[in-house]
Amino acid sequence: MTTGQLSQTFEEISGQLKSYILRITASVEDTEDIVQDTWIKASDKLHTYKGNSTLKTWIFAIASNLAKDNLRAKKRWVENVTDVCKEAAMKEPSHFQKAMEIKMSSTQANFEIKEHIAFCFLCISKSLPLEQHLCLLSKEIYGFKVVEIAVIIGNTEAMVKYYLHTARSKMIKVFEGRCALINKEGMCHQCTEINGIFNPHQKEQEELAKIDMVRAAESGDKEHLFDLRMQVLQGIDPFESGAAALQLHHLAFNRKVMENYLEKNQE
Amino acid sequence: MKNFLIILMLMATTNSQAQHGKATTVKKAFSRTTSVQIDIQADASIIWVLLTNASDFPRWNSTVVSLEGDIEQGKKIRLKSTLDPKREFKLKVKELIPEKRMVWGDGKGNRTYLLEKINESTIRFSMSEKIGGVFFPLYAKFIPPFDEPFSQFAADLKKEAEIIQD
Repeated sequence: MTTGQLSQTFEEISGQLKSYILRITASVEDTEDIVQDTWIKASDKLHTYKGNSTLKTWIFAIASNLAKDNLRAKKRWVENVTDVCKEAAMKEPSHFQKAMEIKMSSTQANFEIKEHIAFCFLCISKSLPLEQHLCLLSKEIYGFKVVEIAVIIGNTEAMVKYYLHTARSKMIKVFEGRCALINKEGMCHQCTEINGIFNPHQKEQEELAKIDMVRAAESGDKEHLFDLRMQVLQGIDPFESGAAALQLHHLAFNRKVMENYLEKNQE
Repeated sequence: MKNFLIILMLMATTNSQAQHGKATTVKKAFSRTTSVQIDIQADASIIWVLLTNASDFPRWNSTVVSLEGDIEQGKKIRLKSTLDPKREFKLKVKELIPEKRMVWGDGKGNRTYLLEKINESTIRFSMSEKIGGVFFPLYAKFIPPFDEPFSQFAADLKKEAEIIQD
């Protein structure tokens, strides 16, 4: 394996790697640092790569370890993160003023409900234990196999299967209880509320009908609805999407709110 | 001779029932032992993960209300069971051989978990609890039967482990 080959593979997967790390850290700055450190470490340790996994898996393993180091001392977010952050946003009008400025000035500020579905999942999945979070993202969004995820997180295949199962079960339960898009009794309408602010003249029902997960909601098949939610995420790159500037602004806000919230609510 | 054959047949029936997930209890003057066995089509490591992640028990095990603490050799754990949800059992992890054997217990008795490889795809899970001592006859009548929750425990474990294995 040559540095040239590493460079080529790194270039090919850098978009996926960046979005993976962002979904783990919820921080653009940390993501950029970790991706850079991953390149440095991969270059330094290239001689240790024996080809037992694909180079992509090996790079994701290095990045995951760096992300784990970054998050080790930090508390996991809470399931009701979107409620906590909504309350904080209501008390801080400058947050939405800034969002409106971004909407007017950026070409990546076209709010879409499906973008918020992805954003919402990014925030809520940070309530999972870290290992479960890494497994879920690797499998459901980035399509790694169990055997590859075992390399990425440095654990056994059995543990990966266990983490995947528990993470899926937990997320299905959380969204079933919260998300009004899939459950009429769901308490959270945040995606449609924000859509009303950014797209006041849009025919919302028509927009919702374009989303497979919403159309399938009546079926009540929780596993299938979760798969459809994951399909929404697979189709969105949080750095390159049409609403990236807007969503990253919201993400920076949520991160700040969560850090303060977790600090105040330490046991 | 006839009686001996009947006893042998009864033992065989009991063993067969236990292996199919139906718990059985043997009562003696100073002890009571409830046992269950079930064959599970999953890796021992998956079954072991389920048996040693305390806080996750209530998610998959319908007989457990809560289980707190770390399931590690010598550590204390606190169990609330559906048999008596108001009562908390403080137990010690007395033995732990990963993916093979584990014993929890207190002064009145021990619960032993065993995993045995039957073939490439099957693990036999056994669980037995022996309660006893010199004062056992005095409090025996206050202890509810364990057969039903033991059968349920084994069924829940099999179901969850096989889902994860798939």
